[in-house]
Amino acid sequence: MIIIRNLTHVYAGTRRQKARTALHDLTLEIPERSFCILSGPNGSGKSTLFRILCGLATPTGGSVTVGGHDLFAEPAAVRRLMGVVFQSPAVDKQLSIIENLRLHAELHGLRGAAFQERADEALAWTDIKARLGDRVDTLSGGLARQVELAKCLLTRPTVLLLDEPTTGLDPASRRAFLGALHRLQRERAMTVLMTSHVFSEAEDADSVAIMQDGRLLAHDTPAALKAQLGQEVVVVRPRSPAVMLDALRRDFDRPVLVHGDELRIEDVPPAEAVVLVEQILTRYRGDVLSIAIKQPDLDDVFVHVTGRTGAVPQTTPKDQKPEDFKPEDQEMRA
Amino acid sequence: MSGQTTTALAPAVWALARREFVRFIRQPQRVIGSLGQPLLFWVFLGAGFTPSFNPPGMEGMTYLEYFYPGVLMMMILFASIFSTITVIEDRDQGFLQGVLVAPVPRMAIVLGKVFGGASIALFQAFILLIAAPFLDTPLPLASLPLLVAAMVLTAVGYTALGFSIAWSMRSTAGFHAIMMVFLMPLWLLSGALFPVAGAPMWLQVVMAINPVAHAMTLLRGPFYATPAELLTTPAYLTGLAVVVVWVALGLWVSAVRVGAREKGAATA
Repeated sequence: MIIIRNLTHVYAGTRRQKARTALHDLTLEIPERSFCILSGPNGSGKSTLFRILCGLATPTGGSVTVGGHDLFAEPAAVRRLMGVVFQSPAVDKQLSIIENLRLHAELHGLRGAAFQERADEALAWTDIKARLGDRVDTLSGGLARQVELAKCLLTRPTVLLLDEPTTGLDPASRRAFLGALHRLQRERAMTVLMTSHVFSEAEDADSVAIMQDGRLLAHDTPAALKAQLGQEVVVVRPRSPAVMLDALRRDFDRPVLVHGDELRIEDVPPAEAVVLVEQILTRYRGDVLSIAIKQPDLDDVFVHVTGRTGAVPQTTPKDQKPEDFKPEDQEMRA
Repeated sequence: MSGQTTTALAPAVWALARREFVRFIRQPQRVIGSLGQPLLFWVFLGAGFTPSFNPPGMEGMTYLEYFYPGVLMMMILFASIFSTITVIEDRDQGFLQGVLVAPVPRMAIVLGKVFGGASIALFQAFILLIAAPFLDTPLPLASLPLLVAAMVLTAVGYTALGFSIAWSMRSTAGFHAIMMVFLMPLWLLSGALFPVAGAPMWLQVVMAINPVAHAMTLLRGPFYATPAELLTTPAYLTGLAVVVVWVALGLWVSAVRVGAREKGAATA
């Protein structure tokens, strides 16, 4: 179980750059044996949080407890519980698969027969069993990921951290990797925290945490998050978002959210959605590039959650950088 | 699973050092390059300078012979320091973060790299040592252990120095630059190329405070004296003390750097 309390991390400023707060008083609890996906746009603080959790950085303030051990007071105890899969694979590409596994095992004090047994166990689910003597740089991206995960499983971690492990994988390898990961998590009763910006990956997770600007915006089960959006979502992509936003707000008595160049009307009952689309098209056919009715998925949840706190911009949202904190935002949350 | 929180030092060091050596052997161009360069230096410079080499008190010594321990030193220096460039590559390619999150003593991460790098350097230096019996003044057999000890100490000292420099560097190009303006002069002014005695006063002062010059004393001594003589020579003992302090300091600084985690700044 991972307990993160009031975590704050500030990157010191330099002459050219102002000090930047990457994490703002973040509190998050991940129950034992659960699979949590940590999501958020680029620059939301995911990577900073990840670096702190795996013990590579110490925060400005706050505490982290992993499996009952204080991460900052007893880093070695936490390292022993934890397996970490990094975004750039932490394997030596010039060594063979089995050499990489052996090296990792030795760093954890596993040798001889104990290593052999663990290696068989850690490799059982993979497709690399026949290629153990091959150098890692001869493997495809998907297989290299399997090496990385197998390597972490050698030490039987109770907590597994993964940083965007599916980056750079084709859709088939991505599905295969995630399938294996979910199965292993259940079989071995591991607590898994995985960062990802692909929301479709989060559908099978026990919980999804959404971060933005270093803050936790939501943490709940995928079903509960989707329920927040109610029934159906009408998504309009207009020629001019600013003009259309005014028009929609004037014509229909419904809240309209802006996300990028899209306008969204959420929580529309199924019977009314088609009528709404028809009305918009009748009035503004020329100004609409595309329009759709969607069942809310986690992508929509993300838009909903992050859009709401982004204090709907009136102009094009390009100037909305993650570093810019609008004063009214802070007050809203205070 | 064992009750301790960290893995024992020795197995972790052994695993990491072995990896360094295996990687080295698997890159034949690295082996050829690091062997070939000092050898060419020795043969060309030695042959070229011998006619004009006539320092006071060394009558009859060819430059080829004078330069031999200097080439040994150069080989150890280059091979040791270059092997620590892999710290930067390890970080770049992601391997290092995997080691940092493993429950190993931080000193094991330093010693693994240092012993691995030193063994690569010694592997090459020992090959060059085959030439020693064919010099005009052959190495006294009794002094061989002292020579080997000097080589080991120097190799460990250089790799520890290289490690502490490479740790915070993000590009290998930057490391090469440091190497040329900082490490190369250390070797040039160590007495490897020319004797201290004939140099101008200011150069003699620089050479006296240069730790590599002291390592050079350790390396050159065994060729011309017995262990009994060396161990009563003040210059040799001073050199030994300097090099031992250098090794200890290098390892300590490296371990401190590895142990330091990036810290969040105070709240803005």
